[in-house]
Amino acid sequence: MKFALAPESRPLEGYTIKRAIHRGAFGEVYYALTDAGKEVALKLLHNNTEVELRGVSQCMNLKHPNLVTIFDMRQDADKDHWIIMEYVGGKGLYEVLQENPAGLPLNEVFRWLHGMTAGLSFLHDRGLVHRDLKPANVFSDADLVKIGDVGLSKYISESRRSAQTQSVGTVYYMAPEVARGRYGREVDVYSLGVILYEMITGRVPFEGETTAEILMKHLTAEPDLSVLPEKLRPVLAAALEKDPDRRISDVDELERRFRKAIEDSGFELAKPTPVYVSKLSAQAAAAETASNGRFGLAAASEKDNKVGVVNSWLGYWNTRVPTPIKWVLCGAVLWMILRSGAFQPLTAGGLIGGMAYLVYRQFFMKRPPTVAPRAAVAANTFLSPETASSVAHQESAATRSTATQSPAPVIMNAPQRQMAAAPQARAATAVVYTPATMRQIPAGQRVTDVTTSLTISLAAAALVTTAVHMATDLLPNAADVAFFGTVTLLAAWALIVPAKLWEGRTGDAIVRRLILAGLGLGVGAIAAVLQQFLMLNDSQLLRVDGDGIFNHGTIGRMQMLEGGLPTMAGFMMFFGLLFLIRRWWWQADSFRKARFRISSSLVTLFLGVVLSAILPFSEQLGAIWALAISAVVQLSSGWTPQEDRLLTQAPGASQAGPVLAQVRHPVVVAVPAAAGHKA
Amino acid sequence: MIWPAVDKHDRMSTTAAERMDRRGSNGKMSTDRYMLWIDGVGAWQLCVGAEFLIGGPTQEGPPADICLMANLSRRHASLLRIGEDWFIHPHNSSVVSGRAITGPTLLRSGDAICLAERVRLGFRIPSVLAGSALIDFESHHRPKHSVDGIILMTDSILLGPRKDHHISCPDWPEMVVIYTQNGVLRCRSKSPLSINGIAVRDSAVLSDGTIVSGDDFRFRIERLRAL
Repeated sequence: MKFALAPESRPLEGYTIKRAIHRGAFGEVYYALTDAGKEVALKLLHNNTEVELRGVSQCMNLKHPNLVTIFDMRQDADKDHWIIMEYVGGKGLYEVLQENPAGLPLNEVFRWLHGMTAGLSFLHDRGLVHRDLKPANVFSDADLVKIGDVGLSKYISESRRSAQTQSVGTVYYMAPEVARGRYGREVDVYSLGVILYEMITGRVPFEGETTAEILMKHLTAEPDLSVLPEKLRPVLAAALEKDPDRRISDVDELERRFRKAIEDSGFELAKPTPVYVSKLSAQAAAAETASNGRFGLAAASEKDNKVGVVNSWLGYWNTRVPTPIKWVLCGAVLWMILRSGAFQPLTAGGLIGGMAYLVYRQFFMKRPPTVAPRAAVAANTFLSPETASSVAHQESAATRSTATQSPAPVIMNAPQRQMAAAPQARAATAVVYTPATMRQIPAGQRVTDVTTSLTISLAAAALVTTAVHMATDLLPNAADVAFFGTVTLLAAWALIVPAKLWEGRTGDAIVRRLILAGLGLGVGAIAAVLQQFLMLNDSQLLRVDGDGIFNHGTIGRMQMLEGGLPTMAGFMMFFGLLFLIRRWWWQADSFRKARFRISSSLVTLFLGVVLSAILPFSEQLGAIWALAISAVVQLSSGWTPQEDRLLTQAPGASQAGPVLAQVRHPVVVAVPAAAGHKA
Repeated sequence: MIWPAVDKHDRMSTTAAERMDRRGSNGKMSTDRYMLWIDGVGAWQLCVGAEFLIGGPTQEGPPADICLMANLSRRHASLLRIGEDWFIHPHNSSVVSGRAITGPTLLRSGDAICLAERVRLGFRIPSVLAGSALIDFESHHRPKHSVDGIILMTDSILLGPRKDHHISCPDWPEMVVIYTQNGVLRCRSKSPLSINGIAVRDSAVLSDGTIVSGDDFRFRIERLRAL
């Protein structure tokens, strides 16, 4: 774009041009500074006539926040006229529409409309008509909408009738009666209607290749209102009416009808206030707003005060190191520990440290109980799944964005620990019942559950062992089959019984894991005894080719391998770790995701592979065993389908207290057969 | 593997902090400030250097490199280029992307800087080709005169039609690069350039008041003097 005047030129005494802003249909506009440093916009008028200049001078002293102020009009040495006016920074509506080809949000549409209406209403009230309202003439500076080119309208309309200098961009917004030389304030209503249509849809109602084509459409074609929201159609139809006498005659009336239409369609123009349902969700919402705002200060967290090497290192680890690299690094560290023979001292240290921490945690750390996601909602009076979920929905209205269906137990109401907003929000929104859901299961029910599961597990173990016998060549003879089947069954029992006892109760996951690991050690010991009893010393089943990654099959001073077969220590290590690492009680819980989850089995299988690779243990057997145990546990444990998972408040629990108050002590009963078997 | 503690914004390594202290004791590194007046596009403040002070208006003493008409202290925060990274060093209340900061903090492209609770600035590094950063005004606080943004220039900045150019000039046919060479500001482009009306080949030196024009564009560079 070439401009006539160079930077630093001074067409008028006291004004220095800094840069060109743009070239309009009727002149160039420059950004200039006065000698004192005030910034102004200078508009150079070409081919000016007396009539036009009178138009400008009429508007010279208008003062309105939504109109671009004209300061003065001056003539330069070449007798060209300059209009000196307020410089408006910020984006023009034209640019905003270019950036949003699909239209603007309704709140934004209304903001622009409101500013334009105020400015036009002021003009109309003073007997003036803008006549050239278009997005290129509308600006927003510091959130204040301003209409430009006021007073130049006459100038434009004169040339428009001669149809010489019009650009297509102007014709899009031109009322049909302009062609007949009629300029009432309905002209501005029509232009405002076209801009409104464009702001909502991103397109002008009448498009065309040439000026003549567009003008013809303004005169004859009906605008396509079907693309607009239904309630807005009559409003825009009345604003885009061809006959000025039947058109909405007043811009204020247009704004009023527009506002009513969008409010009638349920859209709140004012900033929607969050639905207040419970203190909990409001808190969560507030915290979320604070942490989500790009600029706001995040909810205060004690972490802010913990400035230390550990935190910054962990921050780096969590945010900057890609996950695969984390795995590789962890693997490498583990391998080095195992290689160096420091395994035993490290394990001993870890055990002592872990026990010390558990003791500390149990007796000295104030900790609210672990509570399930659903407990907060379900602890109301009787709720069907539908109402339960609708309550959850309402509660989460403000916090939906953080809603997550993570089944992990969450810690709620922990002000003393200054928990971040996310767990609270999650607590209020989760709709899924998971094994972490607290529920009261009557003792009789529990006993029935356990016995039924154990009975079914007999059949399941037989089935799985047969499948392994048929599908692989791992179990060539009867002794192998008996050994594999018995140990699998034992392992499944060792997992199902505690899992069923823990079902629906709170409990520390680490403690649970350690208990299971202990049971695993027991299963390993029995397996070793059984191996001796069945005289499987020549069996290929247990034969280990390598040494694992250990030197000569030992860990520390413990002999893991003897004569190519795992020792008792080897068995115990395998089952102990297998039981420790997986969260087995989830696989047995009646509220697990599906009766049989392939993904869960595969993870267990993978664990088996890893364990038998690290330990001196037959890799094939380790993997298959892990898979078989997972399968038997899942197949024989009772499972309640999602739709049958009903929770109701137990009689005797406080009915009057608010939901929030019960979160700490959720007393809910699983009904009708939530923990039972779905035959 | 996720560990429980989180600190989104890494604190500077000790070496970087040491380097910064050393620099502080030696006195501030030189910063040159320019205005880029671009016809039909806008106005940008160009800061060349590696350390820029952000502050409010002052009655006495030299103004900050980035002096905003805002209720900030005279020395509110500094922006520093260390190695390949940008850091913000707060001297007063500063928040980066929702987190109050007390010490030098790494800035990442897209970070939001909030000073004195009300002044909101966007920080971005638009181009992978240059380390120069851009400060956008997100609240209504600006320098004394209307400026569309502030460019923190390290090695080079790009002016051109693409969105990832530092200054997006939609109607320009070709990109123009402004760069420093031996401490001198220069510019070059694939399309023919004129400097103060005289056609140049290859590249040209930019000095106070230089007008650069091409087929369909024109801009002027002006050195800002401390008032």
